[in-house]
Amino acid sequence: MSDELWFERLAAATSEVGEQRTPSKLKSRIYSALVARMAETGPLLDLKETHEAGGRLCVFERSLTVVPLGKEIRSTNPCRICHARVLAERLDAAPIFWPGCPYSEFHKG
Amino acid sequence: MESRPPGIAGHPEQHAQGAASVTDERELVASVVRKDRKAAARLVAAHIDAVHAYARHRLTPRADLVDDIVQEVFLAALNGLATFQGQSSLRAWLLGIARHKIEDVYRERLRLLQAVDDVANVAENPLLENATLDEQIDAARARERTRHLLAQLPERYGLLLLWRYWEQRSTREIAEAIGTTEKSVERTLARARAQFKVLWLRE
Repeated sequence: MSDELWFERLAAATSEVGEQRTPSKLKSRIYSALVARMAETGPLLDLKETHEAGGRLCVFERSLTVVPLGKEIRSTNPCRICHARVLAERLDAAPIFWPGCPYSEFHKG
Repeated sequence: MESRPPGIAGHPEQHAQGAASVTDERELVASVVRKDRKAAARLVAAHIDAVHAYARHRLTPRADLVDDIVQEVFLAALNGLATFQGQSSLRAWLLGIARHKIEDVYRERLRLLQAVDDVANVAENPLLENATLDEQIDAARARERTRHLLAQLPERYGLLLLWRYWEQRSTREIAEAIGTTEKSVERTLARARAQFKVLWLRE
């Protein structure tokens, strides 16, 4: 068998890469990067609308939907200053258990 | 050999048809475009494992670049989501972006490493000519073994083998991409193949 054919067969036999669990902290970092990029180009979707669209809010996000601080605050990204994000981006199994927190979900899933 | 576009059998994108329905995907895309942060989390959760596994495999000789490439893929996807037509699945589309990003790495690294390559022409090892693949080897073990061996090769050889055989690019395409001659690519590939097979038989 020629080298060329040997490698073509090897590649064909091993080309399926399957799926492996991505480290939770990488998921967290990428999610943070996405939300930061979204926020760079204008306000995020209002948290009330996010909730109405079926998104689960964490306790901090919920609090932003009820405080009388204007609509703008609901389009900010509170995760930027949240300890859960910091832990999630740095630890493999971060001890965060907030319902509705995406970082918590990444570390659970 | 002609390169194959994403989605053709034999390429990782063929495994990209997730369970999510077209409607679900369109809703997810529309939500991310509206800057729904929870939708962004769903996008990451649903597809990162596939993108990461693909990048990890194709960047075996440069595992240190995998995380950055995965992040670049998702950021590029975010920029392009508004134009996502839904002609392929979202996962296939993401893997297509990953493929381009990884080929950028191949191109840049091979251009750089070309400068330090020796020009010795290594003959194919006659002892290896009859080497055959273990026909019934467990596929997962074969993948792992291949990945392990590719990681042991000099970076240039590993990237070149991946680009040529796993990404199925022709030597002409590779030569054009890195600004060298087809002959030079073939010579380097011959050395890479020989070294890989030595390791394959030794292990």
